[in-house]
Amino acid sequence: MKDLWEQARQQYRETPPPEELNFAVASALRAGERKRTHRRTVRRSLSASLAACACFVLLVNASPTFAQAVAEVPVLGDLARVFTVTQYTVEDRDHLIDVRLPALDLAGDTDLEQRINTEISTRIDQILQEAEDRARETKEAYVATGGDPDDFMPIIISVDYEIKCQSQQYLSFVITKTETLASAYTEHYAYNIDLTAGREVTLKDLLGPDYKEIANAAISEEIARRSQDPDNIFFLQGEGGFTSISGDQTFYLDADKNVVVLFEKYEIAPGFMGVQEFTIPLPNG
Amino acid sequence: MDTNIRQQLSEYIVAHQEDFYRLAYSYVKNRDAALDVVQESIVRALSKSDSLRQPEYMKTWFYRILLNESMNHYRRGKRLVSLEDSNADSPAPASDPAERLDLYAAIDRLGPKEQAIIRLRFFEDMKLEEISRVTGTNLNTVKSRLYKSLRRLRELTGEEVAT
Repeated sequence: MKDLWEQARQQYRETPPPEELNFAVASALRAGERKRTHRRTVRRSLSASLAACACFVLLVNASPTFAQAVAEVPVLGDLARVFTVTQYTVEDRDHLIDVRLPALDLAGDTDLEQRINTEISTRIDQILQEAEDRARETKEAYVATGGDPDDFMPIIISVDYEIKCQSQQYLSFVITKTETLASAYTEHYAYNIDLTAGREVTLKDLLGPDYKEIANAAISEEIARRSQDPDNIFFLQGEGGFTSISGDQTFYLDADKNVVVLFEKYEIAPGFMGVQEFTIPLPNG
Repeated sequence: MDTNIRQQLSEYIVAHQEDFYRLAYSYVKNRDAALDVVQESIVRALSKSDSLRQPEYMKTWFYRILLNESMNHYRRGKRLVSLEDSNADSPAPASDPAERLDLYAAIDRLGPKEQAIIRLRFFEDMKLEEISRVTGTNLNTVKSRLYKSLRRLRELTGEEVAT
């Protein structure tokens, strides 16, 4: 009696998905992501068992005015001058854009502050512009090849940041840009600032003059270790695999002030492996 | 690593959105409500995506959320039946043995849990183990519900529906 089921199955398949489905799914994905990051931020700060501090950090993030007010208070000043946030959303038929952007507020060092803030905002502006151009081209191509403009899946761009390390001496944060068309791709931009010296730290500052050798050795060793799991695949050397870190290698400092080197998806391994991160132990403990 | 899982999840959702919509629709029988169900499921899934540790369970994990949302709506819908719908529907129940339903319509007469098993098994081609993960019941329960549902469908349609 297979026919009966085949018939029922066809009736089931005939349910026409409405044309809003694409848009509904895209905006739900975005709302869910927003909800998740929001919850994660709160939970993470709380788990550091600094409940008071968490409220404080959230307030600083939420309101530049509050940040400014706190900056006047001497003891809290060190923390408070660090972050304020620019946040905006664009939501129309072709894009769903979410931007949560850090801005630096270094009381003592306006040069560094300005330089980094300008760099962040130019970079993000450029990224958004490119993404919008891409969205427009994709849509034009989609319509030109006979697609219904109403079915077009809006491009989703989300820019967010995560503070990796914040101490008296160091401030390290990573800006992520995720662009979702049919598949999602995330890029990372890291900023590591030595607050006492008033400049960006390099791997050389942290690991010493032999930083390349140290990092390469640690990464190669870790790749070999991860490769033992047959589920993990890395590109081989000579086939686009890891050979050496680059001069402007992306890295950040984690909460314990360890150097963490980051490789984008596809950079040293197939896409399913995702972003690869390697913690490099500091030379003298 | 968990950003990786979340990306896979988003890609999975986008790729299978029509399947999700159909399953939701089969419960709520209403376009807007089905869209709501799909959206709520996605939001819930993403905000809980930290609890998804193994990507190989992504499908059943997501279907479980989707099914729960669908059933919630379905139950709510059963309680709040609008006047015109209830008038149109009430003479229909298949208590009249002379009236035979076609298989597709007969599935709607099953209880919500039985509907789930039938749809996942025959329309979404899931294995029984997968269904047991989606519904959160053990394999034996899934089997006995499946056989019970098939028996019931036979009564409703008057046809031999076992496969």
